[in-house]
Amino acid sequence: MNNAQQTARVGLFFLLGLALIWVTFETLSDGKVFKDRGYTLIAGFESLKELKQGDEVRMAGVKIGSVEETHLSPSGRRAEAVLRIDPKVTIRENAVASIVMAGLIGTNYIGIELGTADAAALKDGAEIQTKVTPDINAIMSELGNLGKKLEGALNSITGAVSGDGKTPGLFQKLDKVVTDNSDKITATMTNLQDVTAKLNQGEGTLGRLINDPKMHDELVASVHEIKRVASDARTFVANAQAIIDQVKTGQGALGALVFDEKTATDLKSSVANLRAVSDKLAKGEGTLGKLLHDDSILRDAQAVLKKANTAIDGLGDSGPITALGVVANSLF
Amino acid sequence: MNQLTAILEGIGSTVQLLFRAAFYTPTLWRQRARFIEQCYLIGYTTLPIVAILSFFIGSVLALQAGYSMSNFGAKQFIGSLVGLSMARELGPVMAAILLAGRVGSAIAAELASMKVYQEIDALETMNIPPARMLVLPRLAAVLVMMPVLAIIADLVGWFGGALISKYTQSIAIEPEAYFSVLRRFMEFKDVLNGLIKAEVFGFVIVLVSCNIGLNTRGGPREIGAAVTKAVVTSLILILVLDYFVTKALMHLQS
Amino acid sequence: MTCHPTRNPFTHSETAAVGVAVEGLSKSFGHFEVLKNVTFSVKPGEIFVLMGPSGSGKSVLLKHIVGLERPTAGRVTVDGRDAAAESTREQVRMALVFQSGALFNSLSVYDNLALYPREHRIANEAAIREKVMRALQILSLEGTANKAPSELSGGMKKRVAIARGLVMEPQLMLYDEPTSELDPVMSATIAEIIATLKEEYHVTSIVVSHDRELALGIADRVGILMGGELVSLGTPAELRTPRDPRVAEFLNPKIDLKHPRFKKLET
Repeated sequence: MNNAQQTARVGLFFLLGLALIWVTFETLSDGKVFKDRGYTLIAGFESLKELKQGDEVRMAGVKIGSVEETHLSPSGRRAEAVLRIDPKVTIRENAVASIVMAGLIGTNYIGIELGTADAAALKDGAEIQTKVTPDINAIMSELGNLGKKLEGALNSITGAVSGDGKTPGLFQKLDKVVTDNSDKITATMTNLQDVTAKLNQGEGTLGRLINDPKMHDELVASVHEIKRVASDARTFVANAQAIIDQVKTGQGALGALVFDEKTATDLKSSVANLRAVSDKLAKGEGTLGKLLHDDSILRDAQAVLKKANTAIDGLGDSGPITALGVVANSLF
Repeated sequence: MNQLTAILEGIGSTVQLLFRAAFYTPTLWRQRARFIEQCYLIGYTTLPIVAILSFFIGSVLALQAGYSMSNFGAKQFIGSLVGLSMARELGPVMAAILLAGRVGSAIAAELASMKVYQEIDALETMNIPPARMLVLPRLAAVLVMMPVLAIIADLVGWFGGALISKYTQSIAIEPEAYFSVLRRFMEFKDVLNGLIKAEVFGFVIVLVSCNIGLNTRGGPREIGAAVTKAVVTSLILILVLDYFVTKALMHLQS
Repeated sequence: MTCHPTRNPFTHSETAAVGVAVEGLSKSFGHFEVLKNVTFSVKPGEIFVLMGPSGSGKSVLLKHIVGLERPTAGRVTVDGRDAAAESTREQVRMALVFQSGALFNSLSVYDNLALYPREHRIANEAAIREKVMRALQILSLEGTANKAPSELSGGMKKRVAIARGLVMEPQLMLYDEPTSELDPVMSATIAEIIATLKEEYHVTSIVVSHDRELALGIADRVGILMGGELVSLGTPAELRTPRDPRVAEFLNPKIDLKHPRFKKLET
């Protein structure tokens, strides 16, 4: 082989090598080694968490640079990340940087919000605003705390609603009120029916009732009282229903915990009883005129109504409802 | 003790030779014909074996990576594994090992026989320093040719890996996916890192082989011994230097 | 001594011949003492022939003069400069014709000869060519210019080595066994060349040789080295009547078939 040929081959070989290096370089680094390396920004954080040198800096998800260096600030009171930003990208003064976790295995990046176009652009070496985002550890410990709180809350709800042996719960009380009085109420109703029947038959006593204006006033007042009580009871039942609905639909776990089958049935039957009473009372209005020929019945009726009144007052004062209200507020 | 002094002597004479050769650097242009010849021998004629070996190294890397990485569902990252290991480690090291076997041995044999047959003495009486005429062109040639060999080793290895990834049943990764992962997890500095390493290895191999050749004493039997010594020393130095150069480069880049 | 003008290898030679002084030179390789306190001097323009049996240290002595070996004790000076110093080689042009020739096997015969002038940029390529071809011509090697040294016979290699020395236009020329392996005519030619260099250009020559004809024919002085010691030093005329019996035997060995020497050694 002559010399010229050898020289040519070596030259060609060398050029091939250079070309390959160049192609590799262009492919892998987008030609950034020889170009403007961009400008730097400083981002101060309370903790850099898992952020490392070389991690990406993204703006609205687009890579615009990388973390060049991480160090403690000269004062030692915070950590600083030096961000190398692509020179083509302008970062506004009101853009906020935060450390974002891209995966559970510790790949973090710095996310920068866009900021607004009217704000001034940050210059080389400027400091960018930052905000703290919870990292996975914080979230985990928060979740743990939340779990504890939920457990406590649920316990008190359970206590309030179903009682703990010593003090009766809301439903027991409701139940008790209704069961205690249902006999009487039923008896009253039966009496009332008797009275009505008697009234239907004996018209002669009506004149006597009418001639006594004092009696009349009292009767009217009683009727008003009954009405008021009935509407109070209805409101309460509606409220209770709403709370229970919320519990039921709001959170599955909570609903299941609170809403055990037996209590639900109890509650339903109590509510039904109450409703029956009030309905009957409401309906009784038309027949009242006939009621008035018998003093004793009237007195009976008054006594019954008084008792019902006291019972309902007691219900209004009872603590558990307040407790439930607090729980409900704290939950929702 | 004798072993130790022999090693120290070897290091000392190598460093001396380096300085002597460096001293004659200005004469390189006059020796361009020799330089080109050495470029041809060191670079061009070593290319085929470097290419073949790198191809198979890349292939076997892909195969092994596919086998182990599919256990935990990470086989789509084969591209980055093959790419990084070829560029940062195996490309330069393999090119250097082949250089030691092919070029280092040839240099040691040539210079040792020149020494044994008194050609070196003749050069010295003619006031032509061997460091200038024999060592400098070789060192310059390896500096120019080594990055070329290393980048070819890298690229051929990558393509070998891609090919195997595509056509192996248990891996079956398309070249597009392979190269996109490779690109995503690699930067040019990884390749540059490897090229610098290759440069260091090549330079040391040639320098050490020259020195061992020039320091041969005795008869023709010593030529064979010098070749063995040059290759063994080169291989040891490649692996030892590999660690330190890698460490130094990591330190520099961090 | 015939001296044909066309055989003149030199176109110019401004530098003067140089003298060599060897003072109390000793050299040991490990425990083996090769040279023991050797002292002699060679005057500028002189032909000094060094004789001695094989292994007496002649080649080592030559290497000291040319600076390839460093003395264990004593010193060697060339033109008043220490031979071991590298600068001496730059100041004084010396050529050593190795016994084996020491031709560069990777270069052709022509390139072997042209190497020195090219490396030292003594002349342009045309002048070098002229010089090289003339040197080849002197030694009847014209046809070998483009051959590789490996294609040459031992005698031809030696002649090429001498030609390579001539091209260097040396002030001091050293020959290590220049006439061994050569036929008698070629040996005579070599002797003539050495003599010519002296007469025309006052080149100092030191010749290591076993060749008694050459020594007695062209030498100004002859030294005899035995076992690392210089046992005799004198003019060829003095050497014809040696006083030392060892020298007498070395110069005129009688082949005695009745009492062979190797049998004497055994007893």
